[in-house]
Amino acid sequence: MEVIRNFPDSELLGNLRSGQRMEETIKAIYRGHFEGLCWYVMNNNGSRQDAEDIFQEVLVSFIDVVQRDKFRGESSVKTFLFSLNRYTWLNELKRRGRAQVREERYEKGQERVELDTSHYIAGREEKAELLRIVGELGETCRKILVLFYYENLSMKEILERTEYETEQVVRNKKYKCLKQLEQMLNANPALKETLKNLIHG
Amino acid sequence: MDNSTPNMPEDLVRLLDNELAVEEKAELESRLAADPQLQQDFDSLLCTRAAIRQYGLQQQVSSIHLQMMEEMKEQPGKRISPVRKIFRYSAAVAAGILLIVGGFFAYQFFTLTPGKVFSAQYQSFELATVRGAVNESAVEKAFRDKNYTEVIRLHDAGTEAGIKTEFLNGAAALELKDNAKAITSFNRVISLNKEAGTTSFRDEAEYYLALSYIAAKDYKSALGLLKKIGDDPQHLYTSKVTAGLLRQVRILSWH
Repeated sequence: MEVIRNFPDSELLGNLRSGQRMEETIKAIYRGHFEGLCWYVMNNNGSRQDAEDIFQEVLVSFIDVVQRDKFRGESSVKTFLFSLNRYTWLNELKRRGRAQVREERYEKGQERVELDTSHYIAGREEKAELLRIVGELGETCRKILVLFYYENLSMKEILERTEYETEQVVRNKKYKCLKQLEQMLNANPALKETLKNLIHG
Repeated sequence: MDNSTPNMPEDLVRLLDNELAVEEKAELESRLAADPQLQQDFDSLLCTRAAIRQYGLQQQVSSIHLQMMEEMKEQPGKRISPVRKIFRYSAAVAAGILLIVGGFFAYQFFTLTPGKVFSAQYQSFELATVRGAVNESAVEKAFRDKNYTEVIRLHDAGTEAGIKTEFLNGAAALELKDNAKAITSFNRVISLNKEAGTTSFRDEAEYYLALSYIAAKDYKSALGLLKKIGDDPQHLYTSKVTAGLLRQVRILSWH
């Protein structure tokens, strides 16, 4: 049976920064914050599905911000997630043309958190475009690139998870896949610009 | 490695993958600083890697999201272990019971008075009627006529001394709310019986003495006597001593 535990903020942030125990840590964030953030969206013209989608976006943005050392720790994880959630949901509402939400007033401190972090966060459309492009890459390429660049596995470990015969073959395949993806991104300057902003944010 | 790709020099990928030796890395970084096109190529690689990481993260979150939605569907609200759930429900039930019991006792504590307890238990003593009785004493007649002042006067006059007269004197005093006199008379009935080795009006005297103690707010004496009556199945008044009465006297003693 899976052991369920809560993490203090410091341990949670440490895990996200190092990439260690990611699954356990993300689950802890779900258990600790999903219902509260979900409630906010559902009480502001959102459906349950909206709330779930927004939470996933918030989580990706939060982990991204933490991993790029942009989380300054001036607020608790809970406060930060709440601000991200509100920011993401309001952007979505605006996108849907609900102009009246722009009139909504917020407490000063909370607004500051939003403004400080907003330029580190990729928009919903950019994320969807990214998924589409990487999705077009082909399953083998996606697998090798994700294992190497996201899961930080060595060539030897990737070899064990693929049907290739040698590490060198895997290395060559990874190189070609990287080039292919680079070309696909070059064909989408808007997305590339977003990625640049994320890197240099 | 495949070096046939003109726009992606091998060294840039090795730099991206952090596979260059220290000297090689320093040299390539110098070249990047001096060559904007090379830097642009490297930025392009950085963007590609960022895209993969974003994708990987989104996929991982999406996969965990499905698991978590299943988990939350199974156990709405916070996930707690069965043992903890049982403990939580038990605690809630216990707290509810405690609240009801506590409320009951608090209500009793603040509303209970010796007068209420006394009135609930007290019934005027009535002499047994013997058909065709002609030898009724003056004290008995006065008591039957509810002339309690006369009962006391006759008792004090000493013309009809005896256990029965003593008991009727106590009962009359209790009717007149002279608790001290009642207590003295009932105690005397008990001692006279003890001395004589008899039980005449003894049970009656003990029960009415206990009620007299309650009326006089001597709860400790009342409780001791009531327990004795309650513990004796042969006692005439044993059924009168209930757990409720004992609890009420205890509560009165906390005032």
